[in-house]
Amino acid sequence: METFYEVLRRQGITRRSFLKFCSLTATSLGLGSAFVPKIAHAMENKPRTPVLWLHGLECTCCSESFIRSAHPLAKDVVLSMISLDYDDTLMASAGHQAEAILEEIITKYKGNYILAVEGNPPLNQDGMSCIIGGRPFSEQLKHVAKDCKAIISWGSCASWGCVQAAKPNPTQATPVHKLITDKPIIKVPGCPPIAEVMTGVITYMLTFDRIPELDRQGRPKMFYSQRIHDKCYRRPHFDAGQFVEAFDDESARRGYCLYKVGCKGPTTYNACSTVQWNEGTSFPIKAGHGCIGCSEDGFWDKGSFYDRLTDIHQFGIEANADRIGATAAGVVGAAVVAHAAVSAIKRVTSKSDSAKADA
Amino acid sequence: MSATTSDKLADVTGIDPDAIEHGATIKSVYVYEAPVRLWHWINAFAIVVLAVTGYFIGSPPPTQPGEASANYLMGYIRFAHFAAGYIFAIGLAARIYWAFVGNHHGRELFTLPLFNAAYWKEVLTMLKWYAFIIARPSRYVGHNPLARLAMFLLYFVLSLFMIATGFALYGEGLQAESWADRSFGWVIPLLGQSQDVHTWHHLGMWVMICFVILHVYAAIREDIMGRQSVVSTMISGYRTFKD
Amino acid sequence: MGAYETQGFKLDDSGRRIVVDPVTRIEGHMRCEVNVDKNNVIRNAVSTGTMWRGLEVILKGRDPRDAWAFVERICGVCTGCHALASVRAVEDALGIRIPKNAHLIRELMAKTLQVHDHAVHFYHLHAMDWVDVLNALKADPKKTSELQQMVSPSHPLSSPGYFRDVQNRLQKFVDSGQLGPFMNGYWGSKAYVLPPEANLMAVTHYLEALDLQKEWVKIHTIFGGKNPHPNYLVGGVPCAINIDGDGAAGAPLNMERLNFVKARIDEIIEFNKNVYVPDVLAIGTIYKQAGWLYGGGLSALNVSDYGEYPKVNYDKNTDQLPGGAILNGNWDEILPVDPRDPEQVQEFVAHSWYKYADESKGLHPWDGVTEPNYKPEGPKFKGTRTKIEQVDESAKYSWIKSPRWRGHAMEVGPLSRYILAYVHATKGNKYCQRVKEQVDYSAKMINSGIPKALGLPETQYTLKQLLPTTIGRTLARALESQYCSEMMLDDWHELVANIKAGDRATANVERWDPSTWPKEAKGVGTVAAPRGMLGHWIKIKDGRIENYQCVVPTTWNGSPRDAKNQIGAFEASLMNTPLANPEQPVEILRTLHSFDPCLACSTHVMSEDGAELATVKVR
Repeated sequence: METFYEVLRRQGITRRSFLKFCSLTATSLGLGSAFVPKIAHAMENKPRTPVLWLHGLECTCCSESFIRSAHPLAKDVVLSMISLDYDDTLMASAGHQAEAILEEIITKYKGNYILAVEGNPPLNQDGMSCIIGGRPFSEQLKHVAKDCKAIISWGSCASWGCVQAAKPNPTQATPVHKLITDKPIIKVPGCPPIAEVMTGVITYMLTFDRIPELDRQGRPKMFYSQRIHDKCYRRPHFDAGQFVEAFDDESARRGYCLYKVGCKGPTTYNACSTVQWNEGTSFPIKAGHGCIGCSEDGFWDKGSFYDRLTDIHQFGIEANADRIGATAAGVVGAAVVAHAAVSAIKRVTSKSDSAKADA
Repeated sequence: MSATTSDKLADVTGIDPDAIEHGATIKSVYVYEAPVRLWHWINAFAIVVLAVTGYFIGSPPPTQPGEASANYLMGYIRFAHFAAGYIFAIGLAARIYWAFVGNHHGRELFTLPLFNAAYWKEVLTMLKWYAFIIARPSRYVGHNPLARLAMFLLYFVLSLFMIATGFALYGEGLQAESWADRSFGWVIPLLGQSQDVHTWHHLGMWVMICFVILHVYAAIREDIMGRQSVVSTMISGYRTFKD
Repeated sequence: MGAYETQGFKLDDSGRRIVVDPVTRIEGHMRCEVNVDKNNVIRNAVSTGTMWRGLEVILKGRDPRDAWAFVERICGVCTGCHALASVRAVEDALGIRIPKNAHLIRELMAKTLQVHDHAVHFYHLHAMDWVDVLNALKADPKKTSELQQMVSPSHPLSSPGYFRDVQNRLQKFVDSGQLGPFMNGYWGSKAYVLPPEANLMAVTHYLEALDLQKEWVKIHTIFGGKNPHPNYLVGGVPCAINIDGDGAAGAPLNMERLNFVKARIDEIIEFNKNVYVPDVLAIGTIYKQAGWLYGGGLSALNVSDYGEYPKVNYDKNTDQLPGGAILNGNWDEILPVDPRDPEQVQEFVAHSWYKYADESKGLHPWDGVTEPNYKPEGPKFKGTRTKIEQVDESAKYSWIKSPRWRGHAMEVGPLSRYILAYVHATKGNKYCQRVKEQVDYSAKMINSGIPKALGLPETQYTLKQLLPTTIGRTLARALESQYCSEMMLDDWHELVANIKAGDRATANVERWDPSTWPKEAKGVGTVAAPRGMLGHWIKIKDGRIENYQCVVPTTWNGSPRDAKNQIGAFEASLMNTPLANPEQPVEILRTLHSFDPCLACSTHVMSEDGAELATVKVR
């Protein structure tokens, strides 16, 4: 069997570096040097961690993104790092043979397998807007989650709800953490997440044998602690006040900031401007379109992707903060003027009254 | 005993015949101490800067010509916003400090005698006065009760909201683990996501502008039509009474 | 429902019922039930879409310029084709014409998707229906190398050592006892007929394709910023062109970016020529030789497409994959297909979990009504509302609607496009002659070329025998992938020539501002999506989406029975196929996968009053 050590060796890592890596791991885990051989032994011999990858309501873009990973290659992840025992998009078996795998892994690796979820469970229609093996997906999810070690919520569907949960959320699509509350959940949002971010999270967990440090909202800090804006190559144009005013204008051809055509980079936490997409080839802003904020909670319901200011639907169809505010200020101003006019009239009349009284 | 009761009442309603009696000869009362007045004008300046720069952060001016390295317009706008934000926040903190050490008028911004019928009666009186139902309002030494209500809700509570959302957004730029992120970062998931916080912060600016319009109008109007000085009081500190 | 005859198929549900749920290696969720007779031949087939998401309802009241992003998320596999259909529909409604550069860039993106989707489908979703992975361990690497050089002489990765490495890695993997995605496969089934060497070659290409596909999609990354789900723009494309002006280095498209795209196109052409097409021809030949020419179903009768890849934009007469409809296998007559005609494309819900006032009639998408009615029922239904054991096809049984063309069930997809283009070409259409060339070459290879080289008897199958089959469907996909790769090179050269001629425009923003729009407008956008004909219909009112409907390929192919009990393409294709072992339904998967089902696409529709459904609170 091919172990973690063999994978590293095959990827050109020497025995020496491997042992160095083990001692680093020991140090980072707060263990003494006596543990180095133990760690090395574990790395050399431990079986690949089983991963059960379930699909709810989704579009499979997360799986598609995953297979685009360049470092490590998706094939190396699947063949040598994890044991992808269930994934309805890729697995050979189907029907009851496929369902049997779930039971086998749940029993055999109780508490030691990772549950990866792509998509989310719908709760309307008794959950039957997503049927697996004749049963609601929500049941399958709860069943497999019960004995897992940790859950990875792939993408914005599993993390937040994404497009099917956009208003009015007709199927009551629900993110994983609202259904499963007793397991550690790592959210890897994005529609889809960047391939190398996905494999980065997995390899971190395998290498360091722990869950990556998460931020307030449960996202790995290593990829989601900065906004796209913070590391955008067009940031100097933002600071300079140089903007694309309309698509395909001279500014667009010069690569100016897309802020005015609605770029959500300033409000979106992701690694697009650093890791970039598809082996660092480009990312949306570099290709001329603003960020649409696809890794943020509820990004579908924050107004048009091309508006700087968010539409606020409670105030009518096309209202944003400025329109509402200017209207309110206008109303207040008009009221003040009217009130002042009435006050002036009152004052004049009362003065003439008192003048009369004096006379 | 009775003095204490009327003091308390005066504190609540702003009606303090005793004070006017004592000031009868000069017909004025020292209300706003120097730090309060200084703070008021600095704060007013900060709000103007915050509103103008905040508006331009949401809707930037036209594209600047030339090299990016030769321009820093958005940078300056944002710098002015952040600097004014600090002044606004630190000013409020100082003002709160003064509420403890200054005179009793200094506390009017931060408390509301919600459960005191006499207070609400005077609020009603002021409303009637503004609705032209009664010809003369009462005489108030500190804030009139309606002004106090506006001050508390539209200035004090709103300011706390603007400071919390503002520093939460500022913390995004300062990066995770910065003081602003650690102190105010929790606001972001509370309101949804960063974009929601921007929207709420932006709406807050407009509420503040509405408040400023009302505040300025009421102050000038009271100066002309009310029974006591207002605008000049914030300069000299003395409330003068006309009758 | 008992026994009855429709469209020339004799349906009989009296035999043993076999259920496959979930059907894996597809996009989304699907269930399939068949009845087999005592010889294990399929005599009745029932396909059920088992998910829906409600995107059309979500789109109501939104900005039409945003719609592409929503509908793009219908599917992350055929990523971009819904976005393209959407921007086309909006532009059609608002009367926006896009610049030539934008058209060519969109063409490059659409064809990149075709190639990527087809190749990933074949190698990573479909191949395991033909290839016995574990059997590859028995192969002789040297003989595999010989086989490789025989089927594809110009492919450089063909040494015995190369195949031995792959085999060793596979051996190690199997020895680990953790089979991962290959666990519980139907390995060793008699349904697999390839020799070990062909299996090893295919497994090797499974890995090769997995490594390469991520390179091809970088074309999307250049033009659209990312993949999956690249960005589109109403009025053109977002990637402005700046070849030699100030700031060209930071521009979305400059010389380096264009060269990058060219390099990927060259790789794509190589892969299709050296790997994909030869693999499919070889595998197809061996299965044909074993007599496995099943799975034709509706493709032998009714096929249709809207037509795609115009040489001159907005001129349907220059389509390089021309559209139309063929009925009842009459290859002499191509009927025109018009997505705007209310009499042509109609959706029925007689057997779908939706409700119409009159379910005997169909509705055109512009007037589409979709009210959900989840009700697993019927005299033969087994199970409960939340535990389906067996559906009853005489009642409602799927989340998919039944679209029909002039009342006929149609098969759509690369095979349909190829039959249409072939017939167009034989009638003298000069824009699709390459299709005829490819098809004729393939037939020659399958009938004699490859059999001769492998020492097998030659055959004399006609195109009408070879094409409307499961093999034909898989072959058409490979040929379309190759054709697209070649067209991409033309598009690239045309793009560069156009830029050289001084045209830099990539977007028409004259009608970007909603204040320039008419009060009411409606439009349609069609795309030759990887899985078949795709149409989006939009109605815009006061600058907002009033109604949005998509009729997608898998809705056509995966449709349940209609009001007249006509079966859909999935169901028809399974008819009369013998199963080697009903416990291991390889043949069912093989034929279903040959359509490349995309269930998230087909079942995204939802009710207008969906928001009023009972809401279940969490916790």
